[in-house]
Amino acid sequence: MEYINPEGLRLDGRRFNEMRQIVAEVGVVSKADGSAVFEMGNTKVIAAVYGPREIQNKSQQKNGHALVLCEYSMAHFSTGDRRRQKNDRRSTELSLVIRQTMEACILTELLPHSQIDIFLQVLQADGGTRSACINAATLALADAGIPMRDLAVSCSAGYLNSTPLLDLNYVEDSAGGADVTVGILPKLDKVTLLQMDAKLPMETFETVFALASEGCKAIAERVREVLQENTKQLEYRRAA
Amino acid sequence: MYFCLDSVVMVACSVGEQHFLKGGIAQELRTDGRKRLTYRRTYVETGVIPQANGSARVRIGGTDVIASVKAEIGRPSSLQPDKGKVAVFVDCSPTAEPTFGGRGGEELSSELALALQRCLLGGTSGAGAGINLSSLLIQEGKVCWDLYIDGLVISSDGNLLDALSAAIKAALTNTAIPKVQVSAEVADDEQPEIDISDEEYRQFDTSSVPIIVTLTKVGNHYIVDATEEEESQMSSAMSISVNRAGHICGLTKRGGSGLDPSVILDMISVAKHVSETLMNKLDSKIAAAEACEDES
Repeated sequence: MEYINPEGLRLDGRRFNEMRQIVAEVGVVSKADGSAVFEMGNTKVIAAVYGPREIQNKSQQKNGHALVLCEYSMAHFSTGDRRRQKNDRRSTELSLVIRQTMEACILTELLPHSQIDIFLQVLQADGGTRSACINAATLALADAGIPMRDLAVSCSAGYLNSTPLLDLNYVEDSAGGADVTVGILPKLDKVTLLQMDAKLPMETFETVFALASEGCKAIAERVREVLQENTKQLEYRRAA
Repeated sequence: MYFCLDSVVMVACSVGEQHFLKGGIAQELRTDGRKRLTYRRTYVETGVIPQANGSARVRIGGTDVIASVKAEIGRPSSLQPDKGKVAVFVDCSPTAEPTFGGRGGEELSSELALALQRCLLGGTSGAGAGINLSSLLIQEGKVCWDLYIDGLVISSDGNLLDALSAAIKAALTNTAIPKVQVSAEVADDEQPEIDISDEEYRQFDTSSVPIIVTLTKVGNHYIVDATEEEESQMSSAMSISVNRAGHICGLTKRGGSGLDPSVILDMISVAKHVSETLMNKLDSKIAAAEACEDES
């Protein structure tokens, strides 16, 4: 099957290095301390952060550091066919991966004896859900005012028809080619998440990784813009 | 029928706050300034989940819910070969409440799903259902549509049942079921070939779909559209499902405190009265949302 035609257009009309449209909004769940909705094309995720709050389970307490908990869940209607399983292995793995990424980025030593809960709810899944989740979680944590080292952002890239492709959707992801998900801290220029499935030759991997990192930098710009706009709105409402 | 919704989260309220809440309700001035029978600002959006046959998102104050309708081809049950099937599921997302994480939200989810199922689907024989199950039939005894209605609670600030029933009504209005061609007659025990059209759809008839009005009794008065704070102070609540014709389609009583039968009858008549205005407002909001969606 042809995922990128000779003119360089993919199935949805994008070029190899074009990302899907991003829509991001902060403060969607009024009850949460921080929340955000992040859309990458047709993938839509809501993140809600509750914390810092008192530790619920004293046995999980970490000495001198905040406890970061994360739960990833997909709505029954999020995929094409209705899903029925709630706690399947993929959700558990993603919860763990996202928790580790966000924990590396939060300044947990500033909030000892407390707990930060990050809840991710996928409303629509069309490829790149883990990236959308990390981006949504970053926005929600910033909305909650939790101190962070940097804004963790994530993007995925793949390799189909001998071309690296940025930001795969579900059809491209299920094509069987490689799928590299990268999470970076842009200001510190550090990689916090790197996952890949299928196989790639080393040089190709470097190209695909570089493409995904470029995508991450573009998302970081957007995330920063959204947060600055949100702060302006808050300032405007306070002054009024 | 008595149900205890013990899984409602208790909001911490000092004695002073409790008095303020109850006193306000008694004087027709709730903490957010509303009268006893006034609803919060309601927003309706349809078509929010493009891959479902129909979907809607309803926000009542701080409560935010999404309902989606998916139609799949199935086999009618042998007890009712001339009807399609409808199943209602509700999921309480942990984004609404940290206690819903893991398996915490299951109890509340099943209570809500059962209450909605009772109101929409009538008795076990299928008689008196809000949704016309016969319209879901494709071929008697062999092929029918299975409708899966999924509700998702994103943010919870009280009055979940009302919001969910409004979202389900809006989602059903938004539902487009593809037209099906059944191939030539086949033998009794074989499944016929069906051709599902990609182009032609028919809209679902939702004129008899009921909505739920929940009346919460706090002290000696009833309020409509309780916030979570108000729900934590309730003695009991009644959720009454009313359709356009003013008929009662289902009843659920929650809360431990007993109610005098005359009080119940009074609550039902108040609910019927409130439901008329609510139904009209909701219908016009749904129509506006559909028109908005058609333009975009």
